[in-house]
Amino acid sequence: MTGATAAVMVAMLPSSVSASDDEVRRSGPCSGKADWEMRAKWDESERIELRGRVEHTRSGQIWTWKIKHNGSVSAQGRAVTRSGGFEVRRALVDLAGVDHCVFRAERVKTGEVCRGRIEW
Amino acid sequence: MRLLRNPVAQYLTLAVLLFIVLSVAASILSARVAADEASADARALTRVLARSVAQPAIPRGLVDGEAGAIDKLDRQVLDRLLVGDVRRVKIWRGDGTILYSDESKLIGARYPLDAEETDVLENGGTEAEVSDLAEPENRFENDAEGLVEVYTRIRSPEGEPILFEVYYSADDLAARRSAVFAPIQRITVGGLLAMLVIATPIIWVLTRRLTRTARERERLLRASMTASEAERRRIARDLHDGVVQDLAGTAFSLTAVGRDSRVPDELRDDLHNAGQSLRTSLKALRSLLVSIHPPDLHADGLAAALTDLTAPAATHQIESSVDVGDIGRVSDDTVALVWRVAQEAVRNAIRHARASTLEVDVHRRQERLVLRVVDDGQGFDPEGDRDPASFGLRGLASLVTDAGGRLDVRSTPGEGTEVRMEVAIK
Repeated sequence: MTGATAAVMVAMLPSSVSASDDEVRRSGPCSGKADWEMRAKWDESERIELRGRVEHTRSGQIWTWKIKHNGSVSAQGRAVTRSGGFEVRRALVDLAGVDHCVFRAERVKTGEVCRGRIEW
Repeated sequence: MRLLRNPVAQYLTLAVLLFIVLSVAASILSARVAADEASADARALTRVLARSVAQPAIPRGLVDGEAGAIDKLDRQVLDRLLVGDVRRVKIWRGDGTILYSDESKLIGARYPLDAEETDVLENGGTEAEVSDLAEPENRFENDAEGLVEVYTRIRSPEGEPILFEVYYSADDLAARRSAVFAPIQRITVGGLLAMLVIATPIIWVLTRRLTRTARERERLLRASMTASEAERRRIARDLHDGVVQDLAGTAFSLTAVGRDSRVPDELRDDLHNAGQSLRTSLKALRSLLVSIHPPDLHADGLAAALTDLTAPAATHQIESSVDVGDIGRVSDDTVALVWRVAQEAVRNAIRHARASTLEVDVHRRQERLVLRVVDDGQGFDPEGDRDPASFGLRGLASLVTDAGGRLDVRSTPGEGTEVRMEVAIK
């Protein structure tokens, strides 16, 4: 799937979107005070490099996160915020058709949820 | 032609031929061994990658084509699978679906497995074959030297057998084959060359030594023959000038005395018998002189000399005949050789053959002189135990060969003997 096609599909989503031929960004608010940001782009191995970020939090908060690819879990883990947030990067295989990529993060203590989605 | 008779040239020719044959054979065998070795290496590497890297890393869900499982496998093992000569990795499900490949465009595509792949999937084992780059599953391959694919069976966490396939560059395998092959070839070819280089001067030195020894032996033989010839000539001359002349004079005197009228009749017969006895002895002595040393031989005198040779045959009740054709101009050396061979053959016939007839025949056939000495005696088996009498002829055979001729002795027990010599006329 080309970057231009991906940009068109992202443009149909309600949250904040920016796209170019090689990169797609999306951001939005979480269910609490934090914000999330997602970015997808090609890496050197022709994989989709997906970055998920949670911002505007206090340091030391514990979050769990999960990346889903076409509905199945591609990666997951726990993170502790530093300098107001955290980010994770994972490479996803570019499969035939549209790749549905979802980044979801949840603060362990409060249950605040951040969820973003990119169609690549 | 002379060069071909040289032992060093013969050795070098044979050695080079042997070298070529062994080199080609060694190359073929070594290449086969090296190819087997390279193939075995590829299989071994594939098994290691399959058992130690791929299988432990395969996550649940991969066999169902879950994208997350594909991502996990890709992140975990891609760098560890694409090592060394590995150009492509594919993991197949039994229905021909590519569950994973480092070429992501192939993932999810389905291509029926061939019989060998199905066999490995069902029964295990590891197989290798040259990839058919025309097949759609290989459309992304652009290796000019081609690929070799090696596949083996692994199992998913769910227990389903899946096919793990690794593609190697044929060029890399060839390089690995060369790496195995080159030392073997160096050892084989180098060893043969070293042997050739070491043996050639040894053969050359030995040949020179043998040649020198042979020349020295020949020189000594000729010197010995020359000395013997001179001694025989001296003895013959002394006998001829001394004893023979004395006996001839005594025989003449006895005959003269016997005719004197003053000699009583009762002594006349005794004197006649004594004179006759002396003349017989004189004749025998002259034959002996001829045997000891031939007269100065020329082509013109060959017939007479051969007749003298056969003269003793009469005393053994052997009827002899000599026939010398028109032999034209023949060198004295050749005439002497004919006489010497005839002497040995006639002597053997008189002493051992128990023959009743003896024929000596010399004639010219184009540029060759042919001597035949034929008897109708008891003969012998030329292939049997060597008759001591034939040693003289065997010795003469080398002289004949040196003169560019050949000497044959044909005989059968009970059917006589023929000694035949052919020599080029000089």
